[in-house]
Amino acid sequence: MGAPASSAHPARDVVSLAVMTNRMEGVVRKMTNTLFRTARSTVLNTARDFSCCVITAKHELLVMGESLPIHVISGPDMISRWLTRLHPRLSRGDAFLHNSPYHGNSHAGDHCIVVPVIDDEGTHRATALVKAHMADIGNAEPTTLTATVRDVYQEGALIFPCVKIQEAYRDIEDVIRICQARIRVPEDWYGDYIGMIGAARVGERELLKVADEVGWDTFERYVADWLDYSEERMRATIRSLPAGRRTGWETHDPVPLPGLEHGVRLQVTVEIDPQAGEIEVDLRENPDCLPCGLNLTESTSHTSALIGVFNSIGEVVPRNSGSERAVRVLTRENCCVGTPVHPFSCSMATSGLAERLASTVQRTIAEFGDGLGMAATGPECPPAVAGLSGRDPRHSDAPFVDMMILGNSGGAGHARGDGWMVNGEASDGGSMMRDSTEVLELLRPIRVWVDRIVPDTEGAGRHRGAPSLYVEYGPVGTELEVMYAADGTVNPALGARGGLPGAPVRPFLRSADGQVRQLGAWGHVVLESGETIISVSSAGGGYGPPWERDPDVVRRDVAEGWISPARATAVYGVVFDSAGAVDPVATARRRARLAAGEPIPEPADDPVLRAIAPGEPIPGAASQD
Amino acid sequence: MRIAADTGGTFTDLVVERGHQVQAYKASTTPQDPASGILDALALAAEDAGESVAALLAQVTVFIHATTRAINAILTESTARTALLCTRGHPDMLLLREGGRREPFDWRHGYPDPYIPRSLTFEIAERIGAAGEVVQELDEAAVLRVIGTLRELRVEAVAVCLLWSIANPAHELRLGELLEEHLPGVPFTLSHALNPTLREYRRASSAAIDASLKPLMTAYLRGLEERLRGAGFSGRLLIVTSSGGLLDAHEVAAAPIHSISSGPSMAPVAGRRYAAIEAMSDNAVIADTGGTSYDVALVRGGRLPMTRETWLGVEYEGHITGFPAVDVRSVGAGGGSIAWIDPGGLLHVGPQSAGADPGPVCYGRGGSEPTVTDACLVLGWIDPDYFLGGKMPLDLQAAHEAIERRIALPIGLDVQEAAAAIMAVVTERMVQAIEEITINQGVDPRSAVLVGGGGAAGLNAVAIARRLGCPKVIIPQAGAVLSARGALMSDLVAEYSAALFTATDAFDYERAEETLSRLRERCTTFASRSGSVGPPEIHYIAEARYRHQVWQLDLPLRSGRLEDAPSVATLVEDFHCLHEEVYAVRDEQAIVELVNVRARVSCPMGRDELDAPLAEPHDPCRRSRLVYFSGPGAVQADILNLEAMAIGEIVGGPAIIESSFTTVVLNPGASAERTSSGSLLITPLPAGRPEPSAASAEAGS
Repeated sequence: MGAPASSAHPARDVVSLAVMTNRMEGVVRKMTNTLFRTARSTVLNTARDFSCCVITAKHELLVMGESLPIHVISGPDMISRWLTRLHPRLSRGDAFLHNSPYHGNSHAGDHCIVVPVIDDEGTHRATALVKAHMADIGNAEPTTLTATVRDVYQEGALIFPCVKIQEAYRDIEDVIRICQARIRVPEDWYGDYIGMIGAARVGERELLKVADEVGWDTFERYVADWLDYSEERMRATIRSLPAGRRTGWETHDPVPLPGLEHGVRLQVTVEIDPQAGEIEVDLRENPDCLPCGLNLTESTSHTSALIGVFNSIGEVVPRNSGSERAVRVLTRENCCVGTPVHPFSCSMATSGLAERLASTVQRTIAEFGDGLGMAATGPECPPAVAGLSGRDPRHSDAPFVDMMILGNSGGAGHARGDGWMVNGEASDGGSMMRDSTEVLELLRPIRVWVDRIVPDTEGAGRHRGAPSLYVEYGPVGTELEVMYAADGTVNPALGARGGLPGAPVRPFLRSADGQVRQLGAWGHVVLESGETIISVSSAGGGYGPPWERDPDVVRRDVAEGWISPARATAVYGVVFDSAGAVDPVATARRRARLAAGEPIPEPADDPVLRAIAPGEPIPGAASQD
Repeated sequence: MRIAADTGGTFTDLVVERGHQVQAYKASTTPQDPASGILDALALAAEDAGESVAALLAQVTVFIHATTRAINAILTESTARTALLCTRGHPDMLLLREGGRREPFDWRHGYPDPYIPRSLTFEIAERIGAAGEVVQELDEAAVLRVIGTLRELRVEAVAVCLLWSIANPAHELRLGELLEEHLPGVPFTLSHALNPTLREYRRASSAAIDASLKPLMTAYLRGLEERLRGAGFSGRLLIVTSSGGLLDAHEVAAAPIHSISSGPSMAPVAGRRYAAIEAMSDNAVIADTGGTSYDVALVRGGRLPMTRETWLGVEYEGHITGFPAVDVRSVGAGGGSIAWIDPGGLLHVGPQSAGADPGPVCYGRGGSEPTVTDACLVLGWIDPDYFLGGKMPLDLQAAHEAIERRIALPIGLDVQEAAAAIMAVVTERMVQAIEEITINQGVDPRSAVLVGGGGAAGLNAVAIARRLGCPKVIIPQAGAVLSARGALMSDLVAEYSAALFTATDAFDYERAEETLSRLRERCTTFASRSGSVGPPEIHYIAEARYRHQVWQLDLPLRSGRLEDAPSVATLVEDFHCLHEEVYAVRDEQAIVELVNVRARVSCPMGRDELDAPLAEPHDPCRRSRLVYFSGPGAVQADILNLEAMAIGEIVGGPAIIESSFTTVVLNPGASAERTSSGSLLITPLPAGRPEPSAASAEAGS
């Protein structure tokens, strides 16, 4: 903990720093609340797949509230830079629509509303930014996430590089009409759009109010102090880490396109320099941009590396451009995890390689020492995280398109605890909400039959990963078009420090006659009434050897149905007596054998197939055997 | 005569109302047996009146009780062994919740447990669809097998939450019958009957919490009633509810989730009345300062603020009650909040608290970490010899040393500046809590009066009001026992809710009128049996949204009728305005949907006027002492006794006004007047001096 930082921060500043930081968090909370409560698509109003933040006039991320890390850790700073470059004259009342992966954004499916905050003299002082994963953006297919496209043309995304959409607080109707002519279900798009405008305007209003009270000079002093303070916190944390340089690898699943049959192997080199209080993450030794939708953008490459670092250091430090100064991410042009070149597609830039990258970084840091890093987070986007579209027979066949976010689990075992059950992608860190069965069934003509965890799927470890989630759903009285793009069916989430991998993603289709068959990883399925799709998400990896897990905790896992008694003995080495209590002698014996390298026996049956229970008829889904 | 008893974490507050005289008493809370704390306080009151407890209780017609029993049982995990019965395929509702996290990189702890363990969760083969259609019949034979297992597992309570029971309760009702028949004596809660709301997690969580409280609260309330009756009470026992009303004790025992915020919900009830009468304002911020938490609520247009989202524990990770409650937000900031310096040198106050035991350093009970109370002592705001009316001497030296060692030296301030910094940070946290409930709802705190309750309210009420620009601060005479005082002001209240799913593109007038008139009838029936002392009031709320939104706004229905096109047109316009007010945008093109309608009937149980002032002989010789304020530094301040102030007397700051239960700090420039009901009405800034933020706001517009 060393010397107090009072020398760097004169006393008065420390007090006003705390005061102002609370106020800035308040600004972002108000923005977030506005969009969550007013949006029309479940992806925003229930799953909360959006972010709000404030950027300084010098293009630094100041405060991100409860935003999704992948949206804002890096990116809004780049967007702010592009905004001032493309629009040197900004006026109060302007708002910009931005989604260009080539200009600092994440994937094109994330629309940003960017509102410059202009003072009374006309000077640009800060920027309020709202970034939301849209239900639809007018792509070739009704989904915002596709891996199997050659380029942005085949993806079909409309690209808006900082296009002015409001002037003097009024819509520029030309741009609205362009969107409405292309984006599916334009009324819902417009509803989501005005929710975003409302959120950004609330941010603008609140920042102007702060400035009215304290003055812009004080605000700017605060910004400098806060970013310096955050940097110091980050450096202090890094100073306590061991020094070294390590390289880690991980492989993204194959994609059915030429050249991608073996997947994409990523390499990450992490160097920790405690003396300088710095971490360097080198991403340059990776493939060039790929002829598919997996390429990361400049922002998501940086962000994913930073997520891996923030996940690994064991301390909670403020996340902003200040703390990020202590982490150098080295990337290059024309790299699938660097800066993309037009017209390569970045449709999956917030998942896919982004998750693999974050996971590789955190697993690599885990190798620096016990207590650091974490296992791999489950790769995601199984069929219960999917683009849904069709027509709703209950509302005169009105068309709908939406993004379902229900079936993610994936939390990785980490140094101090088990994986987060509803972590979702590594890139959200659990910030995203999940859908509600009743809200989904109310808004869309579908029925969610099953939503539960699958025992025995967790990445075993001293701290285990979160198990898979099993979600089964299908249309009611209509057809349903489902599009998903699942990584993790081949390469599961790996463990760290001797932890085991989690179970892979497994998509299935149950036909009206009850037959269950496995589906591919890159699904575009039209379900008939009576058919259901089964989504088994990937489980998180484990941290530390499973035979080091507290036997009492293993006993509780068995009692609570997280793992079977057979698995407790086979994998965790915990042996129970006939009364169900831990047998300490037999447990010690079994654990010693496991630690000595005795192979873990294969389980007697497949836990996923056990959970699907093909013999059990799903009622209402036509006749079954 | 009426009595209210508020059992808090540290003290049991009792107020006795005889005519217009209201007297307050405080006894220590006895957590193992809360009833004896109440009887202790009753003994103090009886002694004060020079009569026996039996003689005192014999005069009491209504005894109102606010209790933390339910919340304490939850916090200490001593609720009943409860099972959950749910629709097949959905056993993990309580585990998965609704997702979300506040701090994505905070990996200091693992994933939180569900409210009911998975091992006590049972799936029932059945399914209702979104339109209320039966998709799969209830498998009764399977239910009987599950009930057999519940019996073997010696389950003490059962929560039932089936999907879409709000659209068709048939299966939940049948499960209730089967439980009643085959598991007699084990209480259960049906989700649709308790909380007919959309979103299965919320309903399941409500039912789970409610069921788990039933055995305990039934026994507690029965026991309390017996003890009071044994001591000579023959009146009516009413319990304070989370929604700011009163219910008969047996009704609370039947749905004990209503008593979770019993207590905090009453401060706004009292504050609303004080704001209306003392400052003639119907916008008020009510802040109740306790030892560990600062509870704030916003009264707007004279109406109590309500929320449907109350969490036990941390948002997203705790357990949602899923229940309407008075919207009281709590931040971990109070007299016992601990001041600390983080590794980067930044000063924080709370949320950790020294609580009542060991308490602040100055209590001398072994606390070593400096608290807000210690800071006030060091600043000279609290008199070490007149705390709780002198009943508890404080150790100034120890407080001084703790602040010096832990705060002043590490950040390079002198001790008094460090104490002032602690107050500045805790004040800002309190201001943030208030801003969140005001500005977030489009209310300018400059239009609201601040009502300070709780023993520590007066210490920084002026500072908070200045920061927010509140024109007036009220410290009620009974401020230190604000919740108990509120209980005497509150009404017997019932709220009824009914689904009304219709939209403005094809408005179902017939169904709307039928639904509203059914609600009206239930309210009237309740009122006729209430023992109301005045005309009952009924308010109607429509839960409305734009089509494809999924979160409703509570829209007051002006007339309580939706019978024709003009009344629906009014509703639509009101909704656009409300939406714009709250969210900065309106969508004129969108269809407005109604989801639910609610009616709330309030039956007044007490008088409307405020109390007579408590008076002590006027103290002619004024005391004074040195008091430290950030800015001017140490200044000589007058020290006054509140009860010795004459009605209408005005005091200018710097001054400290003390009473047995509270200390009010008047910063230089502030002034306070004692009102005809004995309260203090404070003007935080001198008239004519421009309020900084107001002035610049004008300049900006």
